[in-house]
Amino acid sequence: MFGLIGHLTSLPHAQSVARSLGYDEYASHDLEFWCMAPPQAVDKFTITSVTGQVIHGQYVESCFLPEMLAQGRFKTAMRKVLNAMALVQKRGIDITALGGFSSIIFENFSLEKLLNVRDITLDIRRFTTGNTHTAYILCQQAEQGAERYGIDLAHATVAVVGATGDIGSAVCRWLAERLDLKNLLLVARDQDRLANLREELGRGSVVSLEEALPRADIIIWVASMNQGLSIEPSVLRSPCLIIDGGYPKNMASTVQREGVYVLDGGMVEHSLDIDWKIMSYLNVPNPARQFFACFAESMLLEFEGLHFNFSWGRNHITPTKMEQIGVLSRKHGFRPLLESHTSDR
Amino acid sequence: MKTHDQPTATSAPDIDYRSESYRSAFSRINAIVVEGEREAHANYQAIAALLPEHADELKKLAAMEMRHLKGFQSCARNLEVTPDEEFATRFFADLHGNFERAATAGDIVTCMVIQALLIECFAIAAYNVYIPVADPFARRVTEGVVKDEYLHLNFGQQWLKQNFEAVREGIEQANAANLPLVWRMLGEVDGDTAEMRMDREAIVEDFMIAYGEALHDIGFSTREVMKMSARGLATV
Repeated sequence: MFGLIGHLTSLPHAQSVARSLGYDEYASHDLEFWCMAPPQAVDKFTITSVTGQVIHGQYVESCFLPEMLAQGRFKTAMRKVLNAMALVQKRGIDITALGGFSSIIFENFSLEKLLNVRDITLDIRRFTTGNTHTAYILCQQAEQGAERYGIDLAHATVAVVGATGDIGSAVCRWLAERLDLKNLLLVARDQDRLANLREELGRGSVVSLEEALPRADIIIWVASMNQGLSIEPSVLRSPCLIIDGGYPKNMASTVQREGVYVLDGGMVEHSLDIDWKIMSYLNVPNPARQFFACFAESMLLEFEGLHFNFSWGRNHITPTKMEQIGVLSRKHGFRPLLESHTSDR
Repeated sequence: MKTHDQPTATSAPDIDYRSESYRSAFSRINAIVVEGEREAHANYQAIAALLPEHADELKKLAAMEMRHLKGFQSCARNLEVTPDEEFATRFFADLHGNFERAATAGDIVTCMVIQALLIECFAIAAYNVYIPVADPFARRVTEGVVKDEYLHLNFGQQWLKQNFEAVREGIEQANAANLPLVWRMLGEVDGDTAEMRMDREAIVEDFMIAYGEALHDIGFSTREVMKMSARGLATV
């Protein structure tokens, strides 16, 4: 059995989902209430691989909301994730992916030091951030998206925004090691981390966001929401491929211009339909088949009986591990999402 | 002068357990805990009279509550605090009255919901949140107690589960009548729990987790659990 720990994108979103599910107690209340609300196991489903193998999973809503971080309620945010982890462990789930901010909280607040939750000691090996698969899928979106939208990688400049994060640094390693790009631009806030990353990669240029945007043929955006960065469409090249790996994904609506193609980054498409209720509430375009690559990682680990924390901590993801999860991803029928919002219009 | 357990390096760093304000808050919270254990002792004896076939086990639970009571009394002595017993009696009055009426009427379901679910879950939540911020002496006592409370919760849970179809409606009614009282009681000691660095948000969430798990195990659906465990919370 695999698990997915997720959360909704905002308080209004959470209230509307609660209302449509008939949970009026949750729908009508403000953030204070959500800060006290316990995690809930709200969906069960089966996933079928293209190999014919069938696995079973559960979705746990942590009741975490991004507003908790925006308001500096870090203790509350951590408690939400820990309580959700305790719930999946109590249910005997073998491997669980931490979706969205659940893993970002982990990277930033040393959650692994707080593993005693009431009468449960969390077994950290049963949880994966899913970041290795997300990083792999982002790189595939860049490679395959470039071909689809007429960008020659050998002559392309690729900017990674949020380059020093767990996913961003993995993407940079892959691009530096596996692709022969013209330029690799590294953008992030922390200059020390950027300098270390540049040294580790042995290539790439550290630049500001303002410098990067007009130069980039491909932008891989993995900065987290609260960094307050944005893109001014008029400065972008044409064609320009933007892979929006941020959360929530809103660039398709905020960056609209002829010749600019926006992909929902870090999203996979499965070859077979999945009968699950919860994904229809997570703002994904085709919920029966499309969902987050980090969730898919726990499915892949379940398919293969690899019940351990494949992705953990910060900056441990290597291109070899990305290739390893990529092989499994292809084997079981997952593909990177390549449909651009812009080209659909 | 007597020697006392002093805060150690493992204590929460910024709590002065000997300060006037801490000991004042402790005098009410400790009294509530002691009174809660006293009532639990009496309540399990009352339930034993209603359920003679489980009397032996219930009397054992009642005896455990008496040991807890003594442990918590020693925590007050350790900090040289006189528990505010009057406050504690007033604090429990409504819940106590509801239990008494149910016991007199032979309403075992309501008695179980009040004592074995609500009070036990609330104790579990409050003790778990208290342990990391307790003085070292009280921490050791509370760690021992909380393990027992899970056993007590389990007893009520199993009994209600075995009789689920017959007791479902009774549980819902007892929940609706008594859970709002629990929220009101928690609100009444907001200032004191804050002084003792007990995170109210965490107490409510831990309560809803323990209570929700118990209701789910008894037989209620996720939807029913969410509805029941949030009952009356918005008015806090």
